Amino acid sequence: MVKAATLPRNETGIETALGILKQRFGDRLQTGKSIREQHGHTTTWIENQPPDAVVFPQNTAEVSEIIKACAAHKVPVIPFGVGTSLEGHVNAPAGGISVDMGQMDQILAVHAEDLDCVVQPGVTREQLNTHLRDQGLFFPIDPGANASIGGMTATRASGTNAVRYGTMKDNVIALEVVMPNGEIIRTAQRAKKSSAGYDLTRLMVGSEGTLGLITEITLRLHGIPEAMSSACCSFPSVDAACQAVIATIQYGIPVARMELLDTASVKAVNAYAKLTLTESPLLMLEFHGTKAGAAEQADAFGELAEDFGGTGFEWTSNAEERNRLWKARHEYYWATLQSRPGASGIATDVCVPISRLADCVARANEMLEELGLVGLIVGHVGDGNFHTTLLVDMDDADELARAEEYVGRLNDVAIAMDGTCTGEHGIGQGKRPYLTKELGGATRYMAAIKTAFDPDNIMNPGKILSDEA
Amino acid sequence: MLSPNSESELAEMIAATSGDLVIRGGGTRGVSLPGAELNLSGLSGVEFYEPGSLTIVAAAGTPLAEIESVLAAENQRLAFEPMDHRGLLGTTGEPTIGGVVAANVSGPRRIQAGACRDFLLGVRFVDGAGAAIKNGGRVMKNVTGYDLVKLLAGSWGTLGALSQVSLKVLPRSETQITLKIRGVDVQTAVAAMSAALGSPFEVSGAAFCPGEDDTVMIRVEGFEPSVAYRASRLSDLLMHFGEISQTHDAEKSAAIWTAIRDVNDFHSTPGDVWRLSVKPSDAPEVSQRLQADGLLFDWAGGLIWACVAEGTDLRARIGSFGGHATLVRASAETKQRLGMFEPQPSSLEAISAGLRAQFDPRGIFNQGLMQAPALGAF
Ligand SMILES: Cc1cc2nc3c(=O)[nH]c(=O)nc-3n(C[C@H](O)[C@H](O)[C@H](O)COP(=O)(O)OP(=O)(O)OC[C@H]3O[C@@H](n4cnc5c(N)ncnc54)[C@H](O)[C@@H]3O)c2cc1C
Repeated sequence: MVKAATLPRNETGIETALGILKQRFGDRLQTGKSIREQHGHTTTWIENQPPDAVVFPQNTAEVSEIIKACAAHKVPVIPFGVGTSLEGHVNAPAGGISVDMGQMDQILAVHAEDLDCVVQPGVTREQLNTHLRDQGLFFPIDPGANASIGGMTATRASGTNAVRYGTMKDNVIALEVVMPNGEIIRTAQRAKKSSAGYDLTRLMVGSEGTLGLITEITLRLHGIPEAMSSACCSFPSVDAACQAVIATIQYGIPVARMELLDTASVKAVNAYAKLTLTESPLLMLEFHGTKAGAAEQADAFGELAEDFGGTGFEWTSNAEERNRLWKARHEYYWATLQSRPGASGIATDVCVPISRLADCVARANEMLEELGLVGLIVGHVGDGNFHTTLLVDMDDADELARAEEYVGRLNDVAIAMDGTCTGEHGIGQGKRPYLTKELGGATRYMAAIKTAFDPDNIMNPGKILSDEA
Repeated sequence: MLSPNSESELAEMIAATSGDLVIRGGGTRGVSLPGAELNLSGLSGVEFYEPGSLTIVAAAGTPLAEIESVLAAENQRLAFEPMDHRGLLGTTGEPTIGGVVAANVSGPRRIQAGACRDFLLGVRFVDGAGAAIKNGGRVMKNVTGYDLVKLLAGSWGTLGALSQVSLKVLPRSETQITLKIRGVDVQTAVAAMSAALGSPFEVSGAAFCPGEDDTVMIRVEGFEPSVAYRASRLSDLLMHFGEISQTHDAEKSAAIWTAIRDVNDFHSTPGDVWRLSVKPSDAPEVSQRLQADGLLFDWAGGLIWACVAEGTDLRARIGSFGGHATLVRASAETKQRLGMFEPQPSSLEAISAGLRAQFDPRGIFNQGLMQAPALGAF
């Protein structure tokens, strides 16, 4: 485990706020060790820093009460969705109250005619899509975990569909937020275009719980396409696959999904999902459109791919086959873990301009060799984002140090290519040192915004910004 | 007038100034405020363009026309279809890309592709203290802290003077068809547009022109066979709303949408022009209340253009409507009196004032444009 920075605790404040909240919320405030640890960080290599208590509000007024109590006594508030974030986002370095949004899980309204819906933050993306299916609508953002909509909004999450449908930033229309002083605000109206003032909605999206607690989300929905087709194509090298991606984008084929798996990843997926994919770099694609359109897109891609040495190109619109393929992609994380039993996975998250992707992936591969690490590479190549999943024996201090070295070096490589250290996982605690490296002066503004919103730094302290600010 | 030729000159001038500055790109978007003009047209030129990664980076004062022609040479375009305000406002000059971003200017394709801000990958700007800041850049997505890029888009120069913008571009579509349904009332029009948008046929424009013909217009774009197929399926789907005709000539179809984008109908009509953002399903009812002399509905009803008698306080006339009304064309006196932008609830106004205080601590940029007359403490 990597040590996480701690912050000074406000013992008396915490004790007072706990007393008030215990009295108010009874059994809906829990202080048991295991539930607290569950609400510290779980899916990461960063050490667990449990909160002092976990509270389960059922409506916005209760959230406001909780935050007012915490504000009055300067006690940290850590919003919690389902805890799948990867960079220590929900740790409590100064203790405080974790606010679990799991009981606010209602889909409040679906406006099919306006293509939007209003949900509470505890709704998960799978729950939402199950609910929408009968109405011919869907919500396209699909991170590799069944995350909560509140968590996805707070982390500006994206998934395999980003090329066509964008990320959370493109699909959130308006928010209800409880501010750090307990005040309830609405960032915008349901009307699609908001030009009445600054874009506070987008400022909240991706703020990782540090500017306020999101209690209601208005999301943009999309019609389920008439037809979908999925395709696979093998390439002689990662470079060739990346060239094919660039050609596809430039030709204007409106690909919905475009995922790259390196050879090691293909092997892991074959073993886990009992598939027989050719063991060389692979592109997995999906096309959305009309029946004719989805077929045309697949054919056009097949022709382009051939120019770059693509082989074994196959596409299908058969729902069962498609699901089998994408299920394998969605279970990728578990597949990789099986390829080195006993090891833990550490995911990097760099994103570079697409023209630099092949170079960056090549460097990522070389560095695995240089540092003697086991890692697999998978990428949302349509937008230049890829992950190396390092499989690390956490008990081997030397190996862990080399893994940290790897993450740092890869981030530097990406930043030097005009890229970023994080395309979708966020900063949390883990990536704070790189934020300053990457952004320089802009972090000063972020700190200023944080101070203006939350002068006592009670909302999720110790995240995004460095502690000196 | 201050006219810097580089970002460092811009930063020096801002640091050295003491009075109010009015930031100006091409001056085509109808902003007139008291203060010294800070003209950014000297910061000009495409600095980086890589068609393969769909990215263009340009100095903020670069003429929009230059960007569009550079992109067209590679068969690409700005997918958000920025409106040209000159015809409507009677302004002259060259729209600049910085102005497009600062005002978050989009067009009919917004319902499908998104707004200008959705294509903005990065900005460089100089703040009110004269410091140059960069946020975002050339990557398609990042989650590195607060999204300053989106904050600057649509901030109308009140948070900083943009010096450079980086935008995602898209391939141009091969062809397009416009479907027309004639002789429908506004309820039917909104229902038809909503049905079209909710269909799987990827509509990239949905507008309604009431008046002589009462015509709904629906656009589909893409590769030829797909466009023909979608247009025919849409015709089937929308048949029961009224008689449908199709404009197959791509140039004629494009001209229809340029006219909608630039609100050509109001170019030579007298009166003030307002732009209302509403939920599409509210459009029929809200448009009744406007008592307007002229109307145009874009974005499937989500955007209403209204022409009314000069000096009308339209916000007062219609009361609360769950959207907001922007005053686009009016005399300086009317704009001053009514404000261009819908006043925000006081909680949001306070947050906005707090943001301005951080970016422009001396309060020198475009004063009065985006703040309500009286402000509470933050
Ligand atoms: C196997 C696996 C695959 C993944 N794949 C992807 C992927 O493809 N793309 C991607 O983007 N991410 C991915 N992630 C990361 C993670 O799923 C996302 O970051 C997700 O958005 C987190 O949602 P959550 O509900 O788990 O939030 P949590 O982890 O509970 O919280 C995340 C952050 O948001 C804050 N927060 C939560 N709810 C609220 C609220 N209501 N108001 C304010 N702040 C709030 C928290 O304080 C915290 O800072 C993956 C994770 C795993 C384990």
